[in-house]
Amino acid sequence: MNCEVKVKERAGTINPIFTCQPAGAQYASIGIKDCIGIVHGGQGCVMFVRLLISQHLKESFEIASSSVHEDGAVFGALDRVETAVDVLLSRYPHVKVVPIITTCSTEVIGDDVDGLITKLEEGLLAEKFAGREVHLLPIHSPSFVGSMVSGYDVAVRDFVKKFARKGEPSGKINLITGWVNPGDVKELKHLLSEMDIDATVLFEIEAFDSPILPDGSAVSHGNTTIADLEATGSASHTFALNRYEGGKAAQFLEKKFKVPSTIGPTPIGIRNTDSLIKKLSQVTGKPIPDSLVKERGIALDAIADVAHMFLADKKVAIFGNPDLVIGLAEFCLDLEMKPQLLLLGDDNAGYVDDPRIKALQANVDYPMEIVTNADFWDLEDRIKNKGLELDLILGHSKGRFVSIDYNIPMVRVGFPTYDRAGIFRNPVVGYGGAMWLAEQMANALFSDMEVKKNKEWLLNVW
Amino acid sequence: MPYHEFEASKCIPERKMHAVVKGEGEDLTSCLPKGYLNTIPGTISERGCAYCGAKHVIGTPMKDVIHLSHGPVGCTYDTWQTKRYISDNNNFQLKYTFASDVKEKHIVFGAEKLLKQNILEAFDAFPEIKRMTIYQTCATALIGDDIAAIAEEVMTERPEVDIFVCNSPGFGGPSQSGGHHKINIAWLNQKVGTVEPEITSPYVINYVGEYNIQGDQEVMLDFFKRMGIQVLSTFTGNGKYDDLRGMHRAHLNVLECARSAEYICDELRVRYGIPRLDIDGFGHKALADSLRKIGLFFGIEDRAEAIIAEEMAKWGPELAWYRERLQGKKVCLWPGGSKLWHWAHAIQEEMGVKVVSVYTKFGHQGDMEKGVSRCGEGALAIDDPNELEGQEALRTLKPDVIFTGKRPGEVAKKMRVPYLNAHAYHNGPYKGFEGWVRFARDIYNAVYSPMHQLTAIDIAKDDYATDQGFVTRRMLSDANLSDEAKASPLTGYTGKFDPIAAIRAKTDADYPVFAPKAATEAAE
Repeated sequence: MNCEVKVKERAGTINPIFTCQPAGAQYASIGIKDCIGIVHGGQGCVMFVRLLISQHLKESFEIASSSVHEDGAVFGALDRVETAVDVLLSRYPHVKVVPIITTCSTEVIGDDVDGLITKLEEGLLAEKFAGREVHLLPIHSPSFVGSMVSGYDVAVRDFVKKFARKGEPSGKINLITGWVNPGDVKELKHLLSEMDIDATVLFEIEAFDSPILPDGSAVSHGNTTIADLEATGSASHTFALNRYEGGKAAQFLEKKFKVPSTIGPTPIGIRNTDSLIKKLSQVTGKPIPDSLVKERGIALDAIADVAHMFLADKKVAIFGNPDLVIGLAEFCLDLEMKPQLLLLGDDNAGYVDDPRIKALQANVDYPMEIVTNADFWDLEDRIKNKGLELDLILGHSKGRFVSIDYNIPMVRVGFPTYDRAGIFRNPVVGYGGAMWLAEQMANALFSDMEVKKNKEWLLNVW
Repeated sequence: MPYHEFEASKCIPERKMHAVVKGEGEDLTSCLPKGYLNTIPGTISERGCAYCGAKHVIGTPMKDVIHLSHGPVGCTYDTWQTKRYISDNNNFQLKYTFASDVKEKHIVFGAEKLLKQNILEAFDAFPEIKRMTIYQTCATALIGDDIAAIAEEVMTERPEVDIFVCNSPGFGGPSQSGGHHKINIAWLNQKVGTVEPEITSPYVINYVGEYNIQGDQEVMLDFFKRMGIQVLSTFTGNGKYDDLRGMHRAHLNVLECARSAEYICDELRVRYGIPRLDIDGFGHKALADSLRKIGLFFGIEDRAEAIIAEEMAKWGPELAWYRERLQGKKVCLWPGGSKLWHWAHAIQEEMGVKVVSVYTKFGHQGDMEKGVSRCGEGALAIDDPNELEGQEALRTLKPDVIFTGKRPGEVAKKMRVPYLNAHAYHNGPYKGFEGWVRFARDIYNAVYSPMHQLTAIDIAKDDYATDQGFVTRRMLSDANLSDEAKASPLTGYTGKFDPIAAIRAKTDADYPVFAPKAATEAAE
């Protein structure tokens, strides 16, 4: 077999590709309107995650901390959550949803957040905030389990679990995007709108690409409402685009409310986008409109300009969230490129059973390595010490020094991408995303040819 | 009492004691906010944790060290690549970070074995690095791993390596400041005195509380070397681990950020009798006075004066150019801890920028004492600010610019206030005579950005002349200047994008050699 799936061999992590579960839960929480999460733990678990997301989106948003100090760590810190809920609700009268997101410290000390929520519902909410719509929910996201990817997955499920109701069949579909950018949500909603499909999108985050307004009043926030979340239980179908970021919610809806689901494939590249819209058409009975035939054609036209001349046989390493990495690898193969190394995932043992990975193993005709629970040293060590040769890297900004120090061009994709302007605004999904990705990769190679004076004259005519 | 009550915080009355407005004729006895108390949960405070205070602020700028955090990956990942503490060894400490990757099974059964494996793996991956710092996190503090014992074990097995252990879990104290304290004392207890440094000058200092943000340390070291002073160690920016083990042999501790590093200076005074001298690398006058003080301590004021004269001749006029144009602009000076007092007076005096508010995320009352005393009347001082209070203050004070962190900077951007990064700087370094002009240049570029001017215009409603294809900063900044000022041959900043490269290119031959003082005196 040419394609091996390995687990990182070392015990430790040198330059992590992922952060921990609470970060994923926090990223999910900001997609909901009138929602401010309280992260139950030390203050750094919030402050740095807000900084990270803010670096990525170049926007700010609110997440609170229960500010656990020594006494809480020793004697239990539930009183900190009680105060936090009270203070937060008192000062933010618009807030309706407050997830209590746990961390390693408060999971280790064993704070009973679920019990506390019942107590607060019967006490504080019923008394001090009587008549106000407030929903508290626990999200258990200890940092020593999974990663930000599973934290996101758990959080989406918990939000859906908290609110979904069985009502009259709405005829709407649920579209669970997974961990994507504002630009992706915009592209997905565009596809739905072209097909005239009514959907509940989890989560509506396009507004994180927000304006400066003359009166200084603009704020960035998610737009998925409680009503949206409630409606997920009455939908005709759930599409979870990413198996590992939203798949749990789709499974929950299927089990509890008998909403059938399609989990994946991540619609990166033309073929996976085709798969999504075909399935959308089947499920909803809506035809695929000419406009999408045309858009698909525009993307193929653009890709034809770069694929077999410039991208073919280029060796690429890809790192990041598993669904993203797999989707990119599939698209690269369609573009005649040769993904050499896929660094994905946390310690989730289920990756080896992913049909997309099995398909890679069955069909790749050159040596390819897939490493799970990987870190950046898995990439750098292979380049530095083991002779891995690459033409291109696809991944997020935390890997920037591998690109810089080894002179390998890198296209920024995924989360976070703080070292390039405007990445979050562009899609990687859909036909638009396929076109954008192919052109970004081509342009990165072109710049590299020029910087290295490596057949830079090739572009004199094109 | 001039306490300031925010509308947004009326429901948490204890917050009232955390903000003051300095009134007419008032001094510190009547206007000092409370400070460094436990955070009120749920306020959306901007504070970080004691782990980041130890690891991210103080530990990691040490350059020749493997920085390993013992815990799940998040703490490591989140504090990696969020600051600009560069080094002259190709930024090893910026590029590489290590996490022991504690998982659930380790929480249950203990993670000491895992830690040992990690230590060995990390040294094996980077055989040229022989020094390590291990940081405890919340998770491993709570399960009670004995990190020091594992470190000892490895040091016994591999005598060529040395390991420092910092036990400062995230929950330890109201803010990152708790971590500053812990790592100061831990370093002193574990490492100071374990290496005997070579002394090459009659004037020997430690440069303390300096983190080499965008090259600050290298700028300041250049001055010290030009004065013939031996800098034994820097705590910690661009600093070497083994140099810091020899701190006990300095004649003087020159302290920059007293918030984060006064603890080690004070203990070095108690244990080794080394005096502490607080200085400011920011601001022409403050820096000149600082070099003079150091010169005075060693009896080499003439060397300080020579540097001051040379630098001021070069950079003084450029600063004056900006002062002319920044006069009366209002700033909210909202940094983490020490910059509120490092900058408050200096920007007002030397750039004409009026400080309308100071705040501190993790400072103590001592920082506020210094900050408030260096502010003018009417300045609003806030301890441990939170999101709503910050927004309310911006709406009321309407500053022209704000110096704060990246994320609060995004809040300000939406409220149409341009921001400069107070922690990592925009285009620093900001220390040094040249650096201070770079700071003025960055403020000017922010305030007079033609794009910023456009943000105020409502294209649907406002009647605004659209006959211009462009506007330059000069057209905006010079509109109301006197003819004399406009005709002045002075210019703004003329330095390079990267002023540090030239300093790094210098060799010993580029620095003056001074005759030993004793010999000179004997000759006289």
